[in-house]
Amino acid sequence: MPRIFINGQPIEAARDQTVMEAALANGFYIPYFCWHPQLSIAGNCRVCAVQVEGRSWAEIACNMPATEGLRVLTDSDLVKEYRKSILQLLTLNHPVDCGICDKAGECKLQDYHYEHNGAPSISREPKVHATKFHPLSERIVLDNERCILCTRCVRFTRQISKSSGLGVVERGDSSLIRAVENRAFEADPYSDNVIDLCPVGALLSRPNLYKARVWYTQPTPSVCPGCARGCTVQIWHRKSEWKLNALDPWLNARIERITPLENPAVNGPWICNKGRDLAKIFERPRAEQAMQKGRPVDLDSAIAAARRVIDGAHHRVALVSSWGSNEELHAFKLTLASRFAAYVKHDWTPQPGETLQDDLLIRADKNPNSATALELFTRADDGAKALPRDVDLVLVWGEGFDFARAPAGAKTILLGSYLAPENGHADVFIPISIQTERRGHYTNFQGHVSAFEPCFPKKDGIADAEELFVSIAATEKATA
Amino acid sequence: MADNRVLMSFVVTATSHTLAEYRSRGGYASLEKALRAMKPEDVSREVTTSGIQGRGGAAFPMGRKWSVVHLNDGQPHYLCANADEGEPGTFKDRWILENAPHLLIEAMLIAAYALQVRHAFIYIRGEFDRPYRRLAQAAEEAYAAGYCGERILGTDFSCDVIVHRGAGSYVCGEASALLSSLEGKRGYPRNRPPRLTVRGLYQRPTVVNNVETLSNIPWIIAHGGEAFKKIGVEKDPGTRLISISGHIARPGVYEIETGYPWRKFIYEDCGGVLDGRELKCVIPGGISTKVLTGKEIEALTLDNPSLNAAGSSMGSGGMVAIAEGTCMVRLLQVLLRFYHHESCGQCTPCREGMGWMHRIIDRIVAGNGLSEDIDQLYRISGWNDGTTICGMGDAAGYATVGILNKYRDEFEYFIEHKRSKLNGNLECPAYS
Repeated sequence: MPRIFINGQPIEAARDQTVMEAALANGFYIPYFCWHPQLSIAGNCRVCAVQVEGRSWAEIACNMPATEGLRVLTDSDLVKEYRKSILQLLTLNHPVDCGICDKAGECKLQDYHYEHNGAPSISREPKVHATKFHPLSERIVLDNERCILCTRCVRFTRQISKSSGLGVVERGDSSLIRAVENRAFEADPYSDNVIDLCPVGALLSRPNLYKARVWYTQPTPSVCPGCARGCTVQIWHRKSEWKLNALDPWLNARIERITPLENPAVNGPWICNKGRDLAKIFERPRAEQAMQKGRPVDLDSAIAAARRVIDGAHHRVALVSSWGSNEELHAFKLTLASRFAAYVKHDWTPQPGETLQDDLLIRADKNPNSATALELFTRADDGAKALPRDVDLVLVWGEGFDFARAPAGAKTILLGSYLAPENGHADVFIPISIQTERRGHYTNFQGHVSAFEPCFPKKDGIADAEELFVSIAATEKATA
Repeated sequence: MADNRVLMSFVVTATSHTLAEYRSRGGYASLEKALRAMKPEDVSREVTTSGIQGRGGAAFPMGRKWSVVHLNDGQPHYLCANADEGEPGTFKDRWILENAPHLLIEAMLIAAYALQVRHAFIYIRGEFDRPYRRLAQAAEEAYAAGYCGERILGTDFSCDVIVHRGAGSYVCGEASALLSSLEGKRGYPRNRPPRLTVRGLYQRPTVVNNVETLSNIPWIIAHGGEAFKKIGVEKDPGTRLISISGHIARPGVYEIETGYPWRKFIYEDCGGVLDGRELKCVIPGGISTKVLTGKEIEALTLDNPSLNAAGSSMGSGGMVAIAEGTCMVRLLQVLLRFYHHESCGQCTPCREGMGWMHRIIDRIVAGNGLSEDIDQLYRISGWNDGTTICGMGDAAGYATVGILNKYRDEFEYFIEHKRSKLNGNLECPAYS
């Protein structure tokens, strides 16, 4: 355990730690662009410079081993001057077009410039121009003028996602980040992480380009339901104080973007591209109206009808959603499960072209909460066989049930969130809330429990599954 | 000139580079001596005793570099000859590669024996065509004669020598960038620590030596380290190949003992300045060393201690003589264009700074200079001083500061009058 001194204060560094790691772990501040805890050391941005006491030059902290007795200064005059020079150089050919840059507000270059330099450029030369709007893939656009060549994105594709999809071409100040020729980057299921990794506004999401300023949006912690990994994410949506009546209400309540929420136990700082596209799942047309045989009814009537249907049946089967939260699954277990033969339903199965499973994050089970569902309702539905002929009631919770499997005369109760043709055919259809409208927990395949919070209010006429089960059970008992 | 010849000790003919002639000159005798009569430690000791310093530019003692490699640490070691001679003005390694390729191969085998290396590499500059063909031919001859490969000369020592051709990059002459390039990666210099002698090629201990440095080994083994130490000056012993070009009557490669008087070298050995003109200045050892004026070199001798005291160094031995009447502004423009073109683009100060300085000097030469430009060049040079992964940023800064310090008046004149103080020529005979 080497003991080092930062700005005169003694700290205990761990074995084989660098000065950067030891400093950050002990609450000292050192700026950095190219360094990243999960990536190899590149040492090319040079902004993390510190001064070893007694030396007249600055050295980079990210590659400096914390050796016994080392004394470094992070804010000496020399270091301050050095950082200023680096920021002058980095902004030399940078277009400084923050006004139209999606990264503005969370850009390291912007932050450090205000923090360490603050002066306008001392250069009199015209800016050197480079490619703008270079499409690196279907998902990502690159602005080479904003790029500071920290190579975080290159190292990510080599060391984390292993697609080696990005590289540097040309040299010197003509260097450009480019995708390799065999479309490996296009096929990289983790490619969007380079957008978060990019410390400046060089790599931007094409679907989200110019959609929202960072400061108009806020993140809500959530869990990605895309697979059994259950990566923690942040769902960015418009701040309530920035909701504009003039906007289409839909624009005020939409998912602006999804970013990873760092979680060392589950996903580290990464998520896959499917996790970035949760809007494609959550923003499908919603079912907002309770129905009986396709006839609109109010929610209370639908609940009463469901209760009557359950009472009237003898051989009841329930297909429980593996997208239900721990709370909902437990509520079902405590209220209705005793009257049903309950099977766990896999709401989502792998889609064509989707990565089935890999070594980094993606799991073959494309449902977030199979762990709790299988713990409470041990029998898994095999998803293909027809249900026994004597079944006279099927309660389907969530998506992914093929109604052709239900016996011809059986009644059906469907609890769904999205518009679907089968909604109108069910004897009782009750619309239920989705993940972004409620609070809850998922348990991932390793047993880690992660929480999600509501981003948007639930519309009137839509039920929360947890309360719904209680009220169906309550009305049953009241009338029994 | 010098009495002691270590490298240029034979007459160059059309066949002097072949194995037969090399053996007739006593070639590969040192290899036999080392393999049969010496232990690896003995070879290293002789090299350390000789006190030979690196000839690539940094003048790091070869013995000290070798001593970091532990012989029995249970991992492979690598040896690499740096034949990526790209420093402008330097072409002395080319002489060895063209005329004595077997000398290099023999030297590498002895070094490989001393460092217990199974695979030794020669990274040769891509633009070197004839040297490459000669070296490749020499390697084939050496393999056929049993000097390379399995069980060399019937001993237990085996070593393969691999000749690798670079793709034409100045930065790949930097040892760590050279190894990255050899591994098939982009030729980016690597961060230190770790040193290359701890983790170099394929993350194993690797010794990278300049061609000329290595080529001294057979002589050292044949005559002993003590004998080598007696040549030249004590603190920088041996001989040096100097490749001189520019405004000089007899350009070419010369071998001198260190400590040789500089004035004598230029005016007697090299025949003086072209057209009999005055010597304005000399770039002593490749453009990355600080320029010395014609007056300054009068009293100096050609060795590192002497040049260091004058604020410069022997560098890679690529001397450029510059006659009176040469425009230093245009000279700096040429240098900065080179550095701008060759910056690898890894570190911020060099990547951005080189282009910036190049654009400033271009503007001055175009007649649009500003009074603040000189300070700006000083400032950017300072920002590159010791702040980058490799030494290229520093080198460009030294070259710029060296010229600005000594010829500031020419820059001020150019900026003020929008034309050169000296007709703006770099070429000598254009106005005699």
